Amino acid sequence: MPENIPFLSLITLMPLLGAIIVLLLPKEQSQWLRITGIVFTVIPLLLAVWLFISYQTSMNAGGFTEQYTWLSIPLNNEYEARASTLSLVFDYHLAVDGISLPLLLLTGIVSTMAALASVFIRKRWKTYYFLFLLLLTGMYGVFLARDLVLFFIFFEITLIPMFFLIGIWGYFGREKAAVKFLIYNGLGSAAMLFAFLILIATLGLSVAEPGAAGPWIFTGNYDVLLQNLTDPGAAANIAESQFSLHVFFTDEMKWTAFILLLVAFGIKIPIFPFHTWMLKVHTEAPPSIVMIHSGILLKMGVYGLIRFGAFLFPQQLSSWSTVLAVLGVINILYGAILACVQKEFKLVLAYSSISHMGIVLLGIASLEEAGLQGAIYQSVSHGLISALLFLIVGSLYERTNTTQLDELGGLARAVPFMSGILLLAGLASLGLPGLSGFVGEFLSFLGLFGSMKWLTAIGVLGMLFAAVYVLRSVLNITYGPMPERFTGMKDARFIEALPMVTLAALIVLLGVYPSILTDLMQHGFDGLLEQLQTRMGG
Amino acid sequence: MTILSSYLTLAAVLFCVGLYGVLTKRNAIIVLLSVELMLNAVNLNLIAFSKYGVNPSLAGQIFTLFTITVAAAEAAVGVAILVVLYRSRATVNVDEFDELRR
Amino acid sequence: MSTFFAEYAWLVPLFPLIAFAILTATGRGAKRAGAWIGTAATFLSLVLSICIAVERLSGTSTDYIRQIDWLQVGEMTLTAGFEVTNLTSLMLVVVTLVSFLVNLYSQGYMREDDRISTFFAYVALFTSSMLGLVLSDNLLTFYIFWELVGVCSFLLVGFWYQKPEAKAAAKKAFIVTRIGDLGLFIALLLLFWYMPGNALDFSSIHNVFGTQGGVIATGITTLIALLIFVGAVGKSGQFPLHVWLPDAMEGPTPISALIHAATMVAAGVFLVARTFPVFEASPAAMTTVAIVGAFTAIFAATIGIAQNDIKRILAYSTISQLGYMMLALGVGSVTAAMFHLFTHAFFKALLFLGAGSVIHSVHTQDIREMGGLGSRMKITAWTFGIGALALSGIPPFAGFWSKDAVLTEALNKSPILFIVGVVAAFFTALYMARLYFLVFAGKPRQDGHAHESPPVMTIPLIVLAVLSLFAGFVETPFNGWFGEWLTGETADHHGSGLVMVVSVAVGLLGVYLGWLIYVKGTISRDIVSSRMPGLVMVLERKYYIDELYHLIFVKPLYAAGKLLEAFDEYVVDGAVRLTGRAANALGRLNTRLQNGQVQSYALTALIGIVILLLAIAGRRFW
Repeated sequence: MPENIPFLSLITLMPLLGAIIVLLLPKEQSQWLRITGIVFTVIPLLLAVWLFISYQTSMNAGGFTEQYTWLSIPLNNEYEARASTLSLVFDYHLAVDGISLPLLLLTGIVSTMAALASVFIRKRWKTYYFLFLLLLTGMYGVFLARDLVLFFIFFEITLIPMFFLIGIWGYFGREKAAVKFLIYNGLGSAAMLFAFLILIATLGLSVAEPGAAGPWIFTGNYDVLLQNLTDPGAAANIAESQFSLHVFFTDEMKWTAFILLLVAFGIKIPIFPFHTWMLKVHTEAPPSIVMIHSGILLKMGVYGLIRFGAFLFPQQLSSWSTVLAVLGVINILYGAILACVQKEFKLVLAYSSISHMGIVLLGIASLEEAGLQGAIYQSVSHGLISALLFLIVGSLYERTNTTQLDELGGLARAVPFMSGILLLAGLASLGLPGLSGFVGEFLSFLGLFGSMKWLTAIGVLGMLFAAVYVLRSVLNITYGPMPERFTGMKDARFIEALPMVTLAALIVLLGVYPSILTDLMQHGFDGLLEQLQTRMGG
Repeated sequence: MTILSSYLTLAAVLFCVGLYGVLTKRNAIIVLLSVELMLNAVNLNLIAFSKYGVNPSLAGQIFTLFTITVAAAEAAVGVAILVVLYRSRATVNVDEFDELRR
Repeated sequence: MSTFFAEYAWLVPLFPLIAFAILTATGRGAKRAGAWIGTAATFLSLVLSICIAVERLSGTSTDYIRQIDWLQVGEMTLTAGFEVTNLTSLMLVVVTLVSFLVNLYSQGYMREDDRISTFFAYVALFTSSMLGLVLSDNLLTFYIFWELVGVCSFLLVGFWYQKPEAKAAAKKAFIVTRIGDLGLFIALLLLFWYMPGNALDFSSIHNVFGTQGGVIATGITTLIALLIFVGAVGKSGQFPLHVWLPDAMEGPTPISALIHAATMVAAGVFLVARTFPVFEASPAAMTTVAIVGAFTAIFAATIGIAQNDIKRILAYSTISQLGYMMLALGVGSVTAAMFHLFTHAFFKALLFLGAGSVIHSVHTQDIREMGGLGSRMKITAWTFGIGALALSGIPPFAGFWSKDAVLTEALNKSPILFIVGVVAAFFTALYMARLYFLVFAGKPRQDGHAHESPPVMTIPLIVLAVLSLFAGFVETPFNGWFGEWLTGETADHHGSGLVMVVSVAVGLLGVYLGWLIYVKGTISRDIVSSRMPGLVMVLERKYYIDELYHLIFVKPLYAAGKLLEAFDEYVVDGAVRLTGRAANALGRLNTRLQNGQVQSYALTALIGIVILLLAIAGRRFW
């Protein structure tokens, strides 16, 4: 790879460029707007794929990180005589590793599919594509950012476009759903900001040499945080008395920050009982946006919890692993049982997402390599599967004008292709081996089983309920006699079939040949886990 | 008790009387009058400090002159507004004037 | 000692998989050509399987294993691979043979269906998965294919998706077997964490539980064995998870023959046989297997007597025969179980295909509406008769020898199990006699135009009939060749004359009784139902198991769902709304201050200033 080309920035900023171009286009040119939207979604995907390929060949080579000082704010240093200068430094730091790369690819794939599926959007294309591309920048940024403030900013960038995308192009209850989305996520962001500030103020302090005069820097750079965490000589780990500033990273602070992060990302994932907002979003948002929401945005929570929760707070996480596992099991069973009784297909899928995210939690709670890999794998796989499911839901809604289960039926005869894909996606969702869902579930359960046998056994029950709700709803839609009104219905057009087939193929590929991602994650986790072990031991 | 503090006490009393009037009186004209009282309390303070303060100087007295001028202007504008209000509403009761809320 | 063909064993499941891919890609357009692609692929697999089996027969004793890394987790590597042993080569031949014959048969049976190529695609996928399952060298791969055959079964049961019954049956088949699968899944996790080196392959399992022994605590061993058994119970339709199998008869009849008689349902037995050392290490598990098997054998046989749907009778018979296999395993004889599996695959596939031929011709499944078909469908009648005799355990047909082996082993272990087996054998003979005589003997009860099926359907019948006739001779009380080949041990296999006499006697008695009732009419048909209507009712309703499950599983789940839904709506979301309202109310409270009165604003400001001043003044005293 040519070292001087900033690939990571390109990935992140390309959609932003697209958004600006969209703004310059006249709003009547729907065709051009659409093409611009798709092109600027595909370019980052191609870059991400390229990154993936070159990462395979040169795992240990550099070039997957970019770092510039972004903001440097001098602080009043009259309180600390030993610091020659005292400043607050935020970096523009992007990096990719085995944990974020799968999610980056997922983002590229799902967003491209969603861009293709945006044919369902019938009004205000210009605003739509502008917001869509802006959202994309935010998502790529979240997975690439390695500075707390940068991460936070990208995280927030996703909120505003989402708010409008739900509120303008959604179904009947769209405004309420958008408001609920914003309030919950705003709360989460507040908690996250608080936790990040604690981290910057404590762990983020780098001192030239303890006790000696020199520049003191508060930073949000993730690498520095990680280093300070392991380094016993770091300012945050030295006794309080040495400093007049309160920079000691006490246990209380750790716990506060950890719980705040858990809440912040728990809302995003979502963890019971913070899940009700996402039901609304799943039912009210337009299909292409639900694809992104359920396919990628929920995974930002998972990613954040692993990146910041697990690796910055290993002790806290390991002493709370049972709590997390219990929450996971509750998520699994609660979501699954509720999915069994829903009458609206989108709600079935929404509750099934809750159930699947429970499995992710189990994986994280295990703190085993298998579990953590399972968590990421499950995230990727669930992203693909739910994107596919919601894509089909959108196509079906366009033809039938309903997603109520008892108003649908017999579609296998009317639209055999879409029914077949729906069945495949359903089977993947219930964890059929050979499809991607199984690998994630298997790894997560495998990881947790080592430490918490009974909880795992209870969680495995979720697989049974998954079979019940998936078959109940999917068979209700596709099987059975075909009602009169569905005769003459057209099967998927090419523009719909293309993303469906692509997603289905990826689901099969990941199910049959999981190494394609696990080797990558393995590499990502190896170094981090080693640090984790040493810290937990020490 | 020094001379300064007796002036200050007087000013404080005057100020409180004015404040009481501003806060409680229903008639807008009385409210305006009370405002004048408060301003005069301030004037008294300024003058007292210019004579008996730590660094006595004429600045206090000059400020007082400013205040008196501004107070006169204020009274003129205030009463003019009141007249207009009275014409349109036929009342000078301040309880009736809650346009800020609308 | 060559392993030339064994090295290419991975091709066996690959052929049908390729056929599946082609058929899926071409979609419905393929029509009849699609059918031929499926059949041809299975034929290739059959040829290769036979080559492998011949190679094994010619004296190779080393098992051939090949693995690739499938997934790496930390230091642990999960592998996928295949293993060729005598047991697997036997299963390969059985599966490919039955599958090929069923493919051939379906050319005729499914001729009219406009989704014929989809059907063949599913069958190809099933065959491929089943062969993959047979070849698997470790439990994880096994589990993967285990689920895949389940899903193929689900797809094929629901093949005629427009029928509500088919939809319900497909759903039930999947969910009920899924319960068993969960057991196997947990067993898999347990094994993974308890096995030294996290090994999941069968040869390590054999080593750890068989030869080494004592590495894993007895309690855990029993748990693992029982959980594996739960998986087998689900797949093989053993009590109490048998309920899906009779309903699965909603699928096309060739499917019932292939999946729900010969191959997939036998996978449970195969699983127990494959992990047999685990069971041997745990006496409690062995007892459980034996009791469940014996109970299922007699339980399903009694239900079989009272059913009127030709396929359901055969389905209950399958459950009952699988019970025999489990019984054999439970008393410690893999040989007897596999032998019975082997013969059963042929004669039960034969019976189902025969039944399909009958249904194809008279368009009903109710045996009370059939009759006198023997004269008009000669080949079907003859071959079906052979199958029925084999199932009833009449010498010299295949079923006699294998059932005899099972009963002998049962007698060696426990007389009670033996008696249960014998009684079940009697019922088996009785319901088969009833079925045969009602369908083929007597006067036609339908003035239709029943006719013999086309050759493409009768040829498989004839082939299977021949096999049902002779397959039993590989292992007789006088010749223990099969067992020796399979297990590698020379068993001192001396048959017990008593067992043979008893089993022939009850078989003949059952057939004779059936003949008396349904042909001769010496004994009135409703002799039992007139005296004990309750008993007949219970049998007809299959002991009310379905109703019971509905009451204790389905309804509570639904109720729990409704309850949680209310909880979600009112408690969880209610709390959210409450927070929202509280914030709102607080805001509204503050708007009271915002009354537009300048005076009250000034008052507020004043109070604020006073508080501030006090605070600043107060700081001095801290």
